[in-house]
Amino acid sequence: MLIKPAVDIPSSEITSHSAYLNRRKFMQQGGAAIAAMGLASSVGALETHDSTPLKFGPEWLKAQVSGASDTGFGKEEKLTPYRDVTSYNNFYEFGTGKDDPARNAGALVTDPWSITIEGECERQGTFNLEDILKSMPLEERIYRLRCVEAWSMVIPWIGFPLAELIKRFKPLSTAKYVEFTTLEAPKQMIGQRSRFSTIDWPYIEALRIDEAMNPLTLMAVGLYGEILPKQNGAPIRLVVPWKYGFKSIKSIVKIRFTEKPPINTWQAIAPSEYGFYANVNPDVSHPRWSQAKERRLPSGLFNVNRIPTQMFNGYGEQVAHLYKGMDLRKSF
Amino acid sequence: MQQKRMSIFVRRCLIFSALFTPFAYILAQVVALQMGDYEILGPEPGKAIVWFTGEWAFNTLLLTLAVSPARQWLGWKWPLAHRRMLGLFVMFYATLHLLSYMAFLLAWQWQDIGSELVERPYLTLGFLAWVLLIPLSITSTKGWQRRLKRKWKSLHKVIYLIALLCAIHYLLQIRSNWFDPSLYAFITLILLGQRLSLARIKGFFVRSV
Repeated sequence: MLIKPAVDIPSSEITSHSAYLNRRKFMQQGGAAIAAMGLASSVGALETHDSTPLKFGPEWLKAQVSGASDTGFGKEEKLTPYRDVTSYNNFYEFGTGKDDPARNAGALVTDPWSITIEGECERQGTFNLEDILKSMPLEERIYRLRCVEAWSMVIPWIGFPLAELIKRFKPLSTAKYVEFTTLEAPKQMIGQRSRFSTIDWPYIEALRIDEAMNPLTLMAVGLYGEILPKQNGAPIRLVVPWKYGFKSIKSIVKIRFTEKPPINTWQAIAPSEYGFYANVNPDVSHPRWSQAKERRLPSGLFNVNRIPTQMFNGYGEQVAHLYKGMDLRKSF
Repeated sequence: MQQKRMSIFVRRCLIFSALFTPFAYILAQVVALQMGDYEILGPEPGKAIVWFTGEWAFNTLLLTLAVSPARQWLGWKWPLAHRRMLGLFVMFYATLHLLSYMAFLLAWQWQDIGSELVERPYLTLGFLAWVLLIPLSITSTKGWQRRLKRKWKSLHKVIYLIALLCAIHYLLQIRSNWFDPSLYAFITLILLGQRLSLARIKGFFVRSV
């Protein structure tokens, strides 16, 4: 498997987590100084998340998340502020408004949590998340997240490559696809109680096995040095940065290896609008809007941050080979 | 008589203030945002404003359409005197809706504005609705009413078409939650249905014979 140079850097160059915290502190002070000058709104994406790290989430995960190694991946990107990353979410299990998840996700019980592994693999069963994570080294990577709705963010995730997890369950040669399922718990998830939704719960998303094994594909348990907030898909979610955000399924309770392509939730609702792949592609419009450009958040009113969308969200070097010879207009 | 004229004036002021309030509210939010209260409209304030103005364009449109049913069903005659103002508020919020879409979401990138309006049916319909509002707004004065005589009434029936366009404009944007667009479409159909009552249909045919 080809590993992209940005991740495969010598350990001597890997910044420790304390250096990351120092960097954060520096940025916070910078942010405060600029805010004091009354320029905060024009500066936009300054990091101003000033909480003490790890003030929420299960105790057993805290040390591990704060010990995550800094890969330096994506460091050149300007981060979307913590408050935007955690207050502007699409997580329809908690309502369809962007601010609904932050308001309603508190009811979600994320600990204890278990994941069921099924299908074409040697090791099946239900595993405690604590056990799954125990021996899993965590790392931080900064990824662009492009929503199918034509807005985007830059988020410092903490997690581990999905490939590391998949290997443990020893998929068979018949495992051509990996299907993920979000928790279905209407008592905790107010959006699942709505009678006005077109979604047939639970939410399902899937990848081809080679997409799942790609080193870019991440399972995240944290962001911004914190344990993953509930509205962002706690306790564990997928992050596939070259695909539209809805592929990055949240609060995963089941992983199933299949031989036939699974039908994803959005694909089932509107097959003409959402294909299986959902790769970020500026040349293929959503039938109802163009995908050629995106608003990188935060975006001001009179200084709209509208930028061209990149093929594979700019990760073509790492993933374009997966789609060689495919007509991406048809397999959208 | 003096008493009655006074009450119309007071009512006019009250209705004007009520319908102006959403604009004052969103304007205050924009001012606060520009002053640095960053969190007020979220990370995508433009989108919030486009939705807000669109909703109020539709709300005022439904109020305008409710004037005749209010007379027929509730026996309220007084709203008739304020229908012009209601209609002009529709134009006001629809124009803000269109302007904020072009300014805040497309950043005045004309090429994109053009291609979006042509390629996206829901935008084409929404834009058409706004275009059709223009002649209605211009001819809303007493002078035009006199000049156009009976044609004025037929011309202003275009508002029914505009209402249908708006309902479809909203329905075409459904992704997951279909409640709000369906509710607006439902109310639109009820209000338009009043115009289709049996007696009126009969009257139409009798007149045309």
